[in-house]
Amino acid sequence: MKVKINAEIVAGLLFTIAAGILFLMIPTEINTLETTEINAQTVPKIALGGLAIFSFLLFLQGLFLLPKKEIVFSQEFYASRVFKDSIRSLIYIAIVIVYVVLFKLFGFIASNIYLIFAVLMYYGARKKSYYAIALCISALVYFVFSVVLNISLP
Amino acid sequence: MDLFLSGLEILFNWQILLAIPLGLILGIVVGAIPGLTSDLGIILCIPLTYTLEPTVAILVLLAIYVGGTYGGSITAILINTPGTSANAATLFDGYPMTQNGEAYKALSMALYASTVGGLISAFVLLFAAPPIAKVTLMFGPAEYLALAVFGLSVIAGVSNSNILKGLMGACIGIFVSTIGLDVISGTMRFTFGNLQLRRGIDLIIALIGLFAISEILMKAKYNPKTDRKIVDPASITRCRISQKEYRRCRKPLTIGTIIGIIIGATPGTGGGLAAFIAYNQVKQSSKHPETFGKGEIEGVAVSESANNAACGGTMIPMLTLGVPGDGATAILMGAFMVHGLVPGPMLFKEQGNILFAIMLGLIVVNISLWLVGNVFTKFYAHITRIPFELLACIVLTFCAAGAYSTNNSMYDVYYIFVFGILAYYLRLMDFQLVPILLGIVLGPLAELNFRRALILSDGSYSIFIKRPISLAFLLIAFGSILVFTIKNFLHQRSLGKEASQME
Repeated sequence: MKVKINAEIVAGLLFTIAAGILFLMIPTEINTLETTEINAQTVPKIALGGLAIFSFLLFLQGLFLLPKKEIVFSQEFYASRVFKDSIRSLIYIAIVIVYVVLFKLFGFIASNIYLIFAVLMYYGARKKSYYAIALCISALVYFVFSVVLNISLP
Repeated sequence: MDLFLSGLEILFNWQILLAIPLGLILGIVVGAIPGLTSDLGIILCIPLTYTLEPTVAILVLLAIYVGGTYGGSITAILINTPGTSANAATLFDGYPMTQNGEAYKALSMALYASTVGGLISAFVLLFAAPPIAKVTLMFGPAEYLALAVFGLSVIAGVSNSNILKGLMGACIGIFVSTIGLDVISGTMRFTFGNLQLRRGIDLIIALIGLFAISEILMKAKYNPKTDRKIVDPASITRCRISQKEYRRCRKPLTIGTIIGIIIGATPGTGGGLAAFIAYNQVKQSSKHPETFGKGEIEGVAVSESANNAACGGTMIPMLTLGVPGDGATAILMGAFMVHGLVPGPMLFKEQGNILFAIMLGLIVVNISLWLVGNVFTKFYAHITRIPFELLACIVLTFCAAGAYSTNNSMYDVYYIFVFGILAYYLRLMDFQLVPILLGIVLGPLAELNFRRALILSDGSYSIFIKRPISLAFLLIAFGSILVFTIKNFLHQRSLGKEASQME
């Protein structure tokens, strides 16, 4: 399957749809009792309306005025560097999302131990000193925030 | 004159001369950590100053304020994350300078510009505070809206090749700023029934997510085996500012300082807005605007001089009229009252000697900033030698801790990663993040004053044109957008002609 696409088409389409949906949600999400013409709904309407218009224009710009890249979804594409980099990025994002979940469930220290090992292993770091330094800095941050600044971390 | 000399006499005591550097160091450290701001540093230190003399106490807190405003430039330059919102404009050229191997130069200029801007604003505070305060009191809602529109016109300058993306970014930012409780009507907006969203999205949370987290995610493809640059430690501090560069930066420093003082003296604005507006003005008037955003030292000079000049500027309405210039000065006002000083016109009459000691002390604070900052700059520049895989862990740790500490809420930690992931994909699609930041910063100022102005004028839009200061700002803003659009169009056309000639 061949697709001719550019970033402007993707961004334009996604934001037009998102802005449109959010715009339609304004009456339910902003339930104002004001009767004036300018009220709590005005600026969100301007922002989302503007976003919808500009992103649609961007979509049209991408479709008709800007060069497109051809992507062929074949076995060669799935074996290519571009696809592998995309998967790596998704793995990195997944590492960060798991960190946030662990931060909530197990607190700062445990989640940071996971984060340090996950990120350093992701980058293939083998030096033990890196792990030691990162763990010490985490402990120092915990100490500074909890004891010195009196901000209790989870 | 008697009060001046009396103030000078109070100022020179060993407690003050010891306390100021300590306050600066604390301020620099707090300002440099994303998520912690000089506001937090001041709040935490107020109880520690209860037993100190009023002058000592206030000067320590001022030192934290000034140090924090400078400290945010360190992370802005080194890791593309402003420590405070006042340093967001420093990102434009500070981080590209680091990427070009000029981190030490950028940090040195940030320190120099902060000192110059802060020092000049301290002198202005001492000699010209009352007349400036009278002018800024003429700002009503219409003027504030015009100022916000003027600030938003910076988008035209930073949108580079595609203004549509810049405008989309601004709309996203303005929309994000409307989430939460509407202050005028008390209506909840886009909270989806979640009480945590009632207070909206904190600016510092948006900053951490948009810049720090996205920067870490952008390095997902980084390979330490092939992409690591081996840097000679001695070469880091060899890259110094030349005499020619100092001379080139005179104009940006002047413009940054003047705008910083004026914007700072306008209540409810702050160093961030001053830095953006000053940056835009310098870029527009430069003979080589195309170099801005790619590691231009003048960009660092103007933004840092503006935000530190705003520190002195924000003190003007606070001391002369009892009206805080920004959030930090609002907290400082509380500190004044704790120590038995009531900011306002009566302070000059009743405790003029202490007031003069404080204003003179601000000059000493800025001189000390230069001395203290020089000690740390060489050390900070070596942060660029830290392997990225280690730096990523450290930055993520600080970001999560800093975000959580803002409101002691887990939701802020969620938000920074939501913003970070969104910003990462936007950057992949060649969007600039600064318009989003501008929308978040200026959206509330624009909306609140737009609605207030219309309430005052019974719904008549002519209020924005009939008031001369408002009209002036609006004309400058639209003129600025027009000039940038025409310049951009001509530049694109010349690029197109060159391309067709080469073919």
